[in-house]
Amino acid sequence: MGSIKVKPKLKNGVVKVKALASHEMTTYDIAKKRTGNRDDANFITHISASVNGEVVWEASTSQFLAKNPIFKFQFKGIGAKGDKVVMTWTDRKGKTGKGKGKIK
Amino acid sequence: MQRRKFLSLVGLSAVAMSAAPVALSATDWRETKPDVWTAKNVDDAIKAMYGDKKIAEGDITVTTPDVAANGGAVPVNVKSGLNAKTVAIFQDANPESAVIVFDVNKYGVVNYDVKMKLKSVGEPITVTCVIETTDGKVFSGKRTLDVALGGCEG
Repeated sequence: MGSIKVKPKLKNGVVKVKALASHEMTTYDIAKKRTGNRDDANFITHISASVNGEVVWEASTSQFLAKNPIFKFQFKGIGAKGDKVVMTWTDRKGKTGKGKGKIK
Repeated sequence: MQRRKFLSLVGLSAVAMSAAPVALSATDWRETKPDVWTAKNVDDAIKAMYGDKKIAEGDITVTTPDVAANGGAVPVNVKSGLNAKTVAIFQDANPESAVIVFDVNKYGVVNYDVKMKLKSVGEPITVTCVIETTDGKVFSGKRTLDVALGGCEG
């Protein structure tokens, strides 16, 4: 089970989130170099964030994000101070990671 | 064999159709548009994603450093005032082009930062951001940068 650090901050009606997912993010090229098998590549393929059960941000991703990728994004119209932003990712091997943070 | 293939296709599309209304916001673009992620150049990737739609220059700002010291983690910011439905980022240095596709819903503000890996290819790299608006128009914005030390070779 992987993890994400989530740090949301509310300012002027917009919640800004900084998130750090712990993941190796191996590309096909790196996998081939290390193990000789292209298929050993593993990276986050989908990541999303939700507040009070509603999705506020999501992305489908490729192998070209940095190792332990940092995401910064914003949303508005939902989320008050103290609400939790819950984030989850799924990787190429089907593993998932979770993390949450309180809006400050 | 032919028939089996056809049947499985029908089955798949039926599942996709019945799942569509439920999955209003959760689109996994890797599943719905697999060609985007294997496309070897930006034009092909954009075509796979948006079809033959005309792409106009639009209100999109892509920010990167002029020279990225470390290709393993190049900070990229995309910002736009457009009424976006999807935001996609492509680059022309790595073996495949697509990096990330964001889904934007009513809560979204298009101001995203990500860190991406870029291979050093000895020439300027172009990062392209393509936004499809809620009314189906497609816009793009570009930024060119140099990478000193590649981050894709491992």
